[in-house]
Amino acid sequence: MSKVVEISPTTRHEGHSKLVLKVNDAGIIETGNWCSITPVRGVEKLAVGKTPEQVPKIASRVCGICPIAHNLAGTEAMEASIKCEIPKDAKMLRHILQLANRLHSIALHDILILPDLYLPGTETKINPFTAEEPVRTVAKRIQRIREIGQTIGQIAAGDCIHPRNTRVGGMYRNVSEQAKTKMYDLAKEALPLAKAQMDLMIAILRNYQARDSVDVGGMKVPLPKTLGFHNQGYLATHAFYGASSLDENPSWDIRRFKEARPYDWYMGEMEITLEEPKYPIGGTTKLGTKVNPQMEACTGIPMYDGQPVEVGPRARLAVYKNYDEKGTVGQNVAREMEYPDCLYEMIDCLDELNTNGKVLADNIPDGDGSLGWASNEAPRGTDVHIARVKDWKVQYYSMLVPTTWNFATCSAALTGAPWQLAEVIMRGYDPCVSCATHMIVIDQENRLVAQKLIQ
Amino acid sequence: MLFSEIVIAGCGNPLFADDGFGPAVIEELRKLDLPDNVSVVDAGLGGPHFIFTLLDPEVTKKLVIIDIADFGEKPGTLAKFRVEDLPPGSYRDAHSWDLTEPLQRIKDLIEITVVGCQPARVTDPEMEIGLSDEVSQAIPRTVQFVLDLVGIDYGTARPYLRKEGRQCGIAETCKTG
Repeated sequence: MSKVVEISPTTRHEGHSKLVLKVNDAGIIETGNWCSITPVRGVEKLAVGKTPEQVPKIASRVCGICPIAHNLAGTEAMEASIKCEIPKDAKMLRHILQLANRLHSIALHDILILPDLYLPGTETKINPFTAEEPVRTVAKRIQRIREIGQTIGQIAAGDCIHPRNTRVGGMYRNVSEQAKTKMYDLAKEALPLAKAQMDLMIAILRNYQARDSVDVGGMKVPLPKTLGFHNQGYLATHAFYGASSLDENPSWDIRRFKEARPYDWYMGEMEITLEEPKYPIGGTTKLGTKVNPQMEACTGIPMYDGQPVEVGPRARLAVYKNYDEKGTVGQNVAREMEYPDCLYEMIDCLDELNTNGKVLADNIPDGDGSLGWASNEAPRGTDVHIARVKDWKVQYYSMLVPTTWNFATCSAALTGAPWQLAEVIMRGYDPCVSCATHMIVIDQENRLVAQKLIQ
Repeated sequence: MLFSEIVIAGCGNPLFADDGFGPAVIEELRKLDLPDNVSVVDAGLGGPHFIFTLLDPEVTKKLVIIDIADFGEKPGTLAKFRVEDLPPGSYRDAHSWDLTEPLQRIKDLIEITVVGCQPARVTDPEMEIGLSDEVSQAIPRTVQFVLDLVGIDYGTARPYLRKEGRQCGIAETCKTG
C-alpha cells in the first residue's frame, strides 16, 4: 500500500519548491513530483512594448542568483531577432563574465551539498561553517574562489550582480589593459585553487558513493547504487557559453521544443499518510494534509523531442565530451569537472581579448519582427530566451530557464530512491526555483493555453 | 578586492513596484562622486549570497542596507534598524545549510545598519515597474541619510536628519519634514 509524504519547503537552494512522494512500504519512492511553488509571475507580458535595451535588464531581475545568465540570454535574444552581429571583443568580455559567474556558482554549490556528505574515513557529516580544520581551510578556499569569480565579473561587466556593461549590440566599453591583466592574474590564482577543490570534492563524493547507508535526521537510510538515475535525455547548446538562432548551425531547434501543462503531468489531490518529525529541518508535512501537485505546481513541463531532458553541467559534458556517469554523484562530479574547464576557457578568452578592439556593432537594426532566440549555458543549464523585436519594440518575449527543464527530469530520477534522499537528488540539479516559473505554455498543438494563469 | 571598507547595498526587486526602492537609491548614489573606500552595490535579490556571505570583516567595517520594510508607518517614511530588530527570515541565505542568516554571522564583526522605507505598494507576485510617489519622494532623503550614516558631508545645504535625543541602536523612525 503506497503512502504519501511531502517535504515542503525544500532547502539549500534558491526559491521555493516542494517534493511530493508516493512511497512503498519500505519507503522507496514509486512516483516523485518535484514542483515549484513560487507563484507565476509574468515577465513575458511585462516585456511586450518595452525596448530591447530594457527587457534584458528586466529579465535579469526575475532571479536572485542567475541575473548574469538572464541578462546575457535576454540581450542575445534581442540581437538574434534584429540580426545584429556583435564584435569579437564584446563576445570575449561576455564569455569572461559568464565563466566568472559559473566559477562563483560551482563554489557556492559546494557549500550547498557539503552538509549531505561525510568527511572521508569518518561518520561525521561536513559542516562547511565550522571553525575546525580541515574544513576551515576548505571553506576559506571556497570563499576565495567565489571572490575571484565575482571580482572578474565586476571588472568585465561593471557590476558582479546586475551587469551594467552589457548592451544590445555589444558592450558599453572595453576594459583597460590593466584590467585585463588583473583578470588574468585572478584567473591564474584561481586555477590551482579550483583544481584542488575539484579533487577534494570528487574524493568526498566517491567516499559517499561507496557507503551502504547514510544518516538523515538520525534515521539510517540505505544508499542505492542507482541514486538519481534516469533515462531522460540531455540538452546542452554549447560546451561553455551558449548559442543563438544567428549561428550557422544552431545547436537548439525551437521546433523540437514543446511544453505541457503541469495539470497533465503531476499527480492529483492526495492526503499525506506518512509523517516523519525527525526529518531535517522541522519534519515533513503533517498527516492528513491535502496536497495537489497538479494545481500547486507553478511551472510548465518543457520537453525536447517529446520528453523532459536534463540540463546543466552533466548535460554539457555528456553532449560535448562523452561523459557518461549517471546518477546524483555523477552529476555532482560533472559540476566539479567544470571548475578547471571554466578557468582554462577564461584564460583563452583573455588571451583573445584585444583591449583596443571595438565592442559595439556598427549597425544595430531596429528589428523587422523576426523571431530570434539565444541560449546561455548558465551554471544550472540551458537558459533559452526567445524574442521578437520590431521597430525597436519587443513584441514577444519568453524565457525557458534551466530549472524548469530539470523539474520533470529530476522527478523521474527520484523513482527507486529512499524518500529521505529525495532532497539529495534534487540538490544535484543545483536548483534555482524562484525564476523557474514560466507563464507561456504551449501544448502539443502549439496553442497558447496558460495565459489565463495571470489574468 | 571585491568590497571596500564601507558597503552600501540596495536590496529589492524593481519588478514589484516599491520593492525597487533599494536599487533606485543605489542609482542615485552612483551619480555622486564618493570616496574610494565606499562600494555602492545594486544587490537586487542577491544580497545574501552575492554580498553578505562574501564580506571580509578584515576589510569591510560598515554595511548599510537599503530596502523596503513594513513598520506600519505612512508610505515613504524611513526607519533605521539593527540586525537584531529584523524579523526571522530577513535576508535569509537560501544556500546556507542550516537556514541561519548571514547577517547574524557578521553582525559582531561589521557595523550593520538597515535603512527601511515603508512601501505603499508591493505587487508580488504580479510584476509592475515603477515606485509610488510617496516612495519616490523618499529617495533624496534616503541618499542624504545614508551619506550621513557613512560620514560623508560635502557641506551642501540639507535638512538635519537625526532627531535630537534619539536612542542609539534601536529601530527609530527618521521622519523629515
